[in-house]
Amino acid sequence: MTSRASLLVAVAAFAIAAGYAAVADSYSVFLIATIALTAIGCIGLNVLLGLAGQISLGHIGFMAIGAYTTVLLMEKAGWPYLAATAGAIVLVSIVGGLLAMPALRVRGPYLAMVTIAFGFIVEHVTIEWRDLTGGGNGLMLSAPPSVFGYALSERSLAIAGIVLVFAGLILFERLKRSGWGYAMRAARDTEVATRSLGIDLVHVRAVAFVISAAAMALAGALFAPLQGYISPSSFPFLQSVLLLFAVMVGGAGSALGPVIGAALVVLLPEVLSDLAEYRLLAFGALLFVVLRAAPSGIVGLAEQLAAKFLPARKPVAEPAAANVDAALLETHNAAGLDVTDLSISFGGVRAVQGVSFQAAPGAVTSIIGPNGAGKTSALNLLCGFYRPQAGSVKLGNRDVTGMTSHLLARVGVARTFQTTQLFGSLTILENILLAERAGRLGGLVSALRNAGTEGFARFLLRFAGVDGDVDRLADSLSHGEKRLVEIARALALRPRILLLDEPAAGLSKGDKQRLTALLRRIADLGIAVIIVEHDMPMIMSLSDLIVVLDGGKRIAIGDAAAIRNDPLVRKAYLGDAAPGEKSRAPRPARQGTALEVKALDSFYGLSRALNGIDLVVAPGEAVAVLGANGAGKTTLMRSIAGLEPPRSTGEVRLAETRIDKMPAHIRACSGVVLVPEGRQVFPELTVKQNLQLGAYARKGIDLDTEIEAMFVRFPRLKERIDQRAGLLSGGEQQMLAVARGLLTGPKVFMLDEPSLGLAPLVVDELFASFERLRIEGMTIIVVDQMAGHALALADRAYLLETGAILKSGAADIIAEDPLLEAAYLGGEAQAGAPQRFAAQAR
Amino acid sequence: MNYACTPITGLRRRVVLQGALAILIGSLPFAERALAAEPIKIGLVTALSGQSARAGEALTRGATIAIEDINAKGGVLGRPLELVRRDDESNPAKGLTAARELIQREKVAVLLGGLDTPVQLAIVPFVNNVKMPFVVPWAAGTNITQNGAASNYVFRVSAMDDEVDKAIVAFAGKTFAAKKPGLILVNNPWGESNEHGLRAALKAAGIEPAGVEKFEANDVDVVAQLSRLKQAGADSLFLVGNVGPSSQVVKSLDRMGWSPPIVSHWGPAGGRFTELAGPSAESVVFVQTYSFFGNLSPVGRRVLAELQAKYPDIKGPADVTPAVGFANAYDSVMVIAGAIQKAGSTDPTAIRDGFYGIDRLEGLIKTYEKPFAQNKHDALTAQDYIWAHFEDNHILPFKN
Amino acid sequence: MSFLSAIITGMALGSMYGLLALGFHVTYAVSGTVNFSQGSSMTLGAVAGYFFLVVWGWPGAIGIPAVLLVCAVYGVLIERFAVRPFVLRGSDSWLMATVAVGIMVDNLMLFVFGKEPRSFPSMLAAKPIQIVEGAGVYPLQLLIPVVGLLLALALHLITRRTRHGVAMLAVVQNPNAARLMGINVSGAIAASYAVSAMLAGVAALLIAPLFNVSSEMGTLFGIKAFAAAIIGGLGSAWGVMLAGLCLGLIEVFATNYLGSVYTQIITFASVIVILVVMPHGLLGRAGVKKV
Repeated sequence: MTSRASLLVAVAAFAIAAGYAAVADSYSVFLIATIALTAIGCIGLNVLLGLAGQISLGHIGFMAIGAYTTVLLMEKAGWPYLAATAGAIVLVSIVGGLLAMPALRVRGPYLAMVTIAFGFIVEHVTIEWRDLTGGGNGLMLSAPPSVFGYALSERSLAIAGIVLVFAGLILFERLKRSGWGYAMRAARDTEVATRSLGIDLVHVRAVAFVISAAAMALAGALFAPLQGYISPSSFPFLQSVLLLFAVMVGGAGSALGPVIGAALVVLLPEVLSDLAEYRLLAFGALLFVVLRAAPSGIVGLAEQLAAKFLPARKPVAEPAAANVDAALLETHNAAGLDVTDLSISFGGVRAVQGVSFQAAPGAVTSIIGPNGAGKTSALNLLCGFYRPQAGSVKLGNRDVTGMTSHLLARVGVARTFQTTQLFGSLTILENILLAERAGRLGGLVSALRNAGTEGFARFLLRFAGVDGDVDRLADSLSHGEKRLVEIARALALRPRILLLDEPAAGLSKGDKQRLTALLRRIADLGIAVIIVEHDMPMIMSLSDLIVVLDGGKRIAIGDAAAIRNDPLVRKAYLGDAAPGEKSRAPRPARQGTALEVKALDSFYGLSRALNGIDLVVAPGEAVAVLGANGAGKTTLMRSIAGLEPPRSTGEVRLAETRIDKMPAHIRACSGVVLVPEGRQVFPELTVKQNLQLGAYARKGIDLDTEIEAMFVRFPRLKERIDQRAGLLSGGEQQMLAVARGLLTGPKVFMLDEPSLGLAPLVVDELFASFERLRIEGMTIIVVDQMAGHALALADRAYLLETGAILKSGAADIIAEDPLLEAAYLGGEAQAGAPQRFAAQAR
Repeated sequence: MNYACTPITGLRRRVVLQGALAILIGSLPFAERALAAEPIKIGLVTALSGQSARAGEALTRGATIAIEDINAKGGVLGRPLELVRRDDESNPAKGLTAARELIQREKVAVLLGGLDTPVQLAIVPFVNNVKMPFVVPWAAGTNITQNGAASNYVFRVSAMDDEVDKAIVAFAGKTFAAKKPGLILVNNPWGESNEHGLRAALKAAGIEPAGVEKFEANDVDVVAQLSRLKQAGADSLFLVGNVGPSSQVVKSLDRMGWSPPIVSHWGPAGGRFTELAGPSAESVVFVQTYSFFGNLSPVGRRVLAELQAKYPDIKGPADVTPAVGFANAYDSVMVIAGAIQKAGSTDPTAIRDGFYGIDRLEGLIKTYEKPFAQNKHDALTAQDYIWAHFEDNHILPFKN
Repeated sequence: MSFLSAIITGMALGSMYGLLALGFHVTYAVSGTVNFSQGSSMTLGAVAGYFFLVVWGWPGAIGIPAVLLVCAVYGVLIERFAVRPFVLRGSDSWLMATVAVGIMVDNLMLFVFGKEPRSFPSMLAAKPIQIVEGAGVYPLQLLIPVVGLLLALALHLITRRTRHGVAMLAVVQNPNAARLMGINVSGAIAASYAVSAMLAGVAALLIAPLFNVSSEMGTLFGIKAFAAAIIGGLGSAWGVMLAGLCLGLIEVFATNYLGSVYTQIITFASVIVILVVMPHGLLGRAGVKKV
C-alpha cells in the first residue's frame, strides 16, 4: 500500500469514525473515546519504538503524570481545561527529557528496567504524595471540562479524540518523513553510520523520548475527563505492557499500526468480557497467538497479503534529470589531512604506533598492510570512532584530534565502512537525503525530501554509478550496489576528506574497475581520498601515495612503484617460507575421496556468494584454496562446515556420507573440522578449557594424553595452560585454535586464514606444524592470504574469483600461473614474479 | 482444585456476535424486550482475577445463591433474576468500562459492586448521572455512599471504614486498655482509607498513635516496620490487610518474639488465617459482619446447606471464605429484590425509591428493619459488627 | 530494629531476589534472551510444590525433584515456543511473548491452584531462632542466603569446571566456534532455560514456607528479581547475587530508617541511579565496540 493510498483510507476511516461518534449510543461513544486516547498514546509510543527502536515498559507513568497534572491544574489551580492540558504536556515533556538522560545510557533489557522503575516510581509517588494526589483513593473531577465556555460532553471528547488521532497520524507521517524521523530510523538500523553523517544520536533519541512522553500526556489529559476519576490503580504496570503490545501488534513504525493495535487492546477485552474471570487468560493466549502469527504486526501482514494479491507497483518514471553538474560537488575549501604520530593501544596491544602521513586534497592515499596490521584502527582514529592516545590529526589548519565522529562529519570528514552500513529500512534515495543534511535535521515535521535535495541526491547516485529505481530499500541491494550507494551517501555530506574502508571487498572485477574510476573522479573534485584496502591491483593503479602498516607501525610510504619493490612490503605480504621446506618431492596423486563438494551455491540474503563450486579432496591430500579477499574462500569453508550464514544449496559428502543437511555441530562430530578465520578462541576460557572443548564431542578418549600430544606439537601452549585465551598473542591463539581443532578428531581439517595478522616467524612455525600434519596423513584444506605458504603446503590448489572456481590443478602449476599474482599483488602479471612463487612452492 | 463454574450467562451469543462490529450492531436501537418471562439482570462488577480473585468468587457465590433462592420462589415481579459478571482487574478504568457496558449494553436493572474502593469511586459519578441503582457489597470507603450527589443512587450492604475504625479504637481501648497503638496497614487504597479513619477516630478519643507503618501486600518480611512501632513504644497493634498480608504481619511478630494485642479490620477472615499464620493467629481479634460458625439463624443454616450442595469444595463453614463477602453479597441481592418488588417495575428511579420503601427483610446477616432512608444509604451500622477471632480454623466470637 | 538484625533481614530478603534473578542470568549468559515472566515460573514451582509435597504428601526426596522437573519442562517449552521462533526471525518480540505466557500461567494458576492463599508448612519455618533480641529469624531465612550463594558458586564452578558448563560459556562467547567444536548450541540454550526455570523452582520451594502459596505470588517478586539481575549485570552470577542482596538491604534499611512510605520509591530510584552510573550493572561488562 502506498502511503498516499493509506492516507486516503485513513481519511475515509476517520470521516466514518467521526460521523459515527456523532450519532452512536453513549457506550459506543465511550469506547470510541477510549480507543482514541489509547491510539494517541500508542502513536507517541510508536515514535519511540517504531522509529527510534527503543523499548519502554513504563510509559503508563507519563500518562499518569499527564492525567494527574490536568486534573490538579483544573481542580486546585482553577485552570481551564485547555490550559491544564497544555501544562500537563509541558510538564511531562520535561519529565520525559529528564528520564531520557539515564534511559539513553542503557539499552536492551537495561532500558526496559529503567522504564519499569520509572513507572513504579510514578505509581508510588502518586500513592504517597497524598496531600496533592489524593493517594490511593484518587482524585475526582468535580465538573466536566469546558472549552471556551462550552462544556465538553463525552461525545465531544470522543470527536475531539478522533480529530487528535487524525492530527497525530498526520504529524507522525510528517515526522517520519522529516530529517528527525529518518535520523531515528537510521539510528535504529546502524548507530555508527548515523553518527558518521554528523547526526547527534543523543539528541535524536531524546527527542523521540520527549515526543512519546508528550503524546502519553495528551492521552492522560483526555483520560481524566472521560473517566471523571483517576487513581494510581488506573495506571497499572500491565497497562504499559498493553500499550507496547498494541504498537507491536498493530505494526511498529507504520502510522496506522498503533491505531489498529489500540482498537484491538480496547475491543478485545470487550469481546471477552463475558468470560469474566477467564478473560485475562484468554487475553494472554490471544496476545501470544497474534505475536506468533503477525510478527511484523497487522499492518505488516496486510501489506504482505496485499503484495501477494495485488499487482506489483509499476516503477515510477524517473523525473527529468535535474540540472545539477559535478561542479556542485567540487569543494571550494579543499583541505588535506595531516596525521602526525598517531597512536592507540587496546588492552596492551599497540594497534597503531606513531603513524604519520599527509593526505593531500585531490589525491588518493592508500593505507595497506597485511590483515591485523592496524589499518582499520587507523581509519577509526581518523574518523573519530576512537580517540587517539597520542599524536594529532589536522584538517587543513584545524586541529581535529579526538573530535567525535558526528562533529568530524560536520566539518567535512566522511567515511564508508568495511561491511557496508546502509540504513537498510530506508530507500536508497532516503539514505542519501539524510546525509545531505550533514547533521542539521531541520524542523520536526518538515519533509526531508524536496525537489532540490532530491535532485542533488539523484545526481549523486548517477555520479556514483547507481542505476535503477532509487526507491528500493537499501537492504534489497546487491553487495556491489550497496558499496556505491554508501559512497554516494558519504559524498552527500560534501566532504573535504573521504575515508573508505576496504571499498573493493567482495566486488566483482567489473565493479572494481568502475569503483576505481569513481574514486579517481572523486579525487579530481579536490577531495582528499583515503582508502584502506587489500585489493592490490586497485591500490597500485589508483594510489598517489601508499602508506604500508605492519604490526601497527608504518613500514613504508611512497608511490606504487616504490612500494611494489620494497623488500619489507614483499615480506610482509608474501611471507617467505623457511629454507628447509623449499625442497619437497611432489607426491603421487591420491586415490579416493575424503570430501566432495558438488554444485555448491551460497547466498548471503539475496546476494550470491558462491556459484556452482565443485571440489574434491582425496584422503591424505592437502588442498589450497586461493583467491583475493572477497573471492568466497571463507564462505566456502563456512558452507562446508555448515555454519550459517551463508545459506547453501548443493551436495557435500564426507567420504560416502552426505552431510549437507546436517547442522554444524553434527558435521563437526563426524569429522569435518574447521579452524575458523580470526582464530575464534573462547577469550574468557583458559587454554586448557579451550582444548577440552575441542574434544567436547568425543567420547572414550584419554583427554589428558591427547592434550599432552598437543603440547608436544605446540610447546608454547603448555607454558600458557592456565591463562585466559584472550590474553595470548595472535600466534599462540592460532596454535590454540589449531590444537583445539585437532582435538575435535578431524577426518578433514580445514584451516581458514591461519596466517592472518601473524608475524612471519610465527607463520613459518605454524606452517611447519601443518607440514608435519600432512606428513602424518591428515587431509587438509587450507585457505590463506599468503599464497606462497599455502602452495608450499598443498598438493593441489583451487583458485577462486568472485565465488566461482577460476582454475584448479597441481600446486606447482597454479603457483606459476600469472592469474595468481594478478589476483594477489595486482598489476598485470609481471615477468619474474611467478618464479618467486614457484621457488617457494618447490 | 475444585473450582465450580458459576453459570456464565449469554456467553455463546455474545462471543459470536461481538467483535469490532459489535459497536455498530450494538448501537442499533434495540426493540423493547420487556417480555413477561424476560429475566431481570443484575450486573456484578468486581475483581475476578489477580490478588482479589477469591473475594470476587465469594461475591459471585453469595449473589448466585441469593438469586437461586429468589428464583426458586418465583422470582421478582414474576420474572427470574439473572447475574451478569464482569472482571474489573481492580482497575478503576476497567471497572467503569465494565459498569457502563452492563448498564448500557446488557441493560441490567441494578448494578452490584465489588471490593476495591477506587473502582467504586470511579463508578459512583456515572451511576448517579444515569440514575442507576448501585449496591456495594464490600468496598468500605466512606465517600462511596456519602458522595455528595444531589440524587444518590448508591447503597451499601457492608461495613464502612470510618465506622469500623471508630469501633476498633473503642474496642481496643475497652478490651486491651490500648493507650499507644501502632498502626500497621497494607499499602493500598483500603489501608489508606483506614489510616484516615483510624487517625480521626484516635484523635476523637484523644489518643496519639505510636506510629503508622505501611507494608506491601507482597512483602515477605514486615519485621522492619514492626520494629519501628515497637521502638516507638506501641502497646497494641491495629492491623488492616487481607488475609495473606495479615499472616505475614503475624509471622513477623512471631519472629520478633513480640506479642502485643492485635485488633484488626476484617481481613483475616478472608481465608485460612490460622493455616497461613500459625497458632499466634488466634490472638488477632477482628471485626465481622457475619460468621457461619456458631448458632446460625434458620436462613444461615439453609444457605450453608445450599452452598455445600452447589459447590463441592465447600465442606464446612471454614471453607466459606471470605464469609463477609459472601454474606454481604447475599443480602445485597435480597435487598435489591426487595427494592424491585417495592418499585413494582424495573424503572431505575422507582427501584431507587424502592430501597427507601423496604420495611422488613429477612437477610443472612440480620433482619433488616427500614434499612435505607434518604439520608441513610448504609444498611449495616456499628451495631451489626461482631468481634471474632480464630480458634483452630473456626471463626468464633471473641470473649474477653 | 538494630543494625545487625536489619542486616540479617535484608540479607534473607535480598538473597531471595538474588536466587530468582540467577534465573535471568543463566539464560542471558547463554543466549542473550530472558524469560521476562520469571516470576510466573516461580509461581508454577510453588504450586507444583504445594500439590506434590503438601496435598499429595510425597516425600521430599521425590517431591522436590518432581517440582524441579516440572519447572525444567516448562523452561524448555518457553524457550521452544516463546523465545526461539522470535530469535530466529531476528525479532525482539520474545520479550512480549514471554510476558504473554506469564499472563497465561498466572491466570491458569488461578484455576489450577485456586484463588485462596495457602500455607506451605516447613520444619525450617516453624520456630524462629533469636539471634539478636527482637530479631528472630526462621532457620530457613538463614538457609536461603546460604543456598543462594551456594547456587551462585555452583553455577560459577559448573561453568568453569565441567565439560557441559564450559560448553555453555563457549556458546555465549562464540556460538559459531562452539558449533565447530560439536557443541549443540540450540540444545545448550534450551538447557539454560530449563536451568533458569529450575532456579525459579528452587526459589519457590524456599520462599513458599516464609510466604504463602498463591497464584500471583511471583509477580512483584519477578520484577524485583529482574531489577536485581539488571543491577548486577545480567552476565555475572556473582553480580546478580550481590545485587539481589543490595536490593534487599536497601529495602530493609529504607524502611528501617526512613519509614515504609519511601521504601518502594527509594528501591526503584536506586535502580535508575545505579544504572546511570554503571550502565552495564555492578559486575557487568561492556561488549567490545566494533566499527
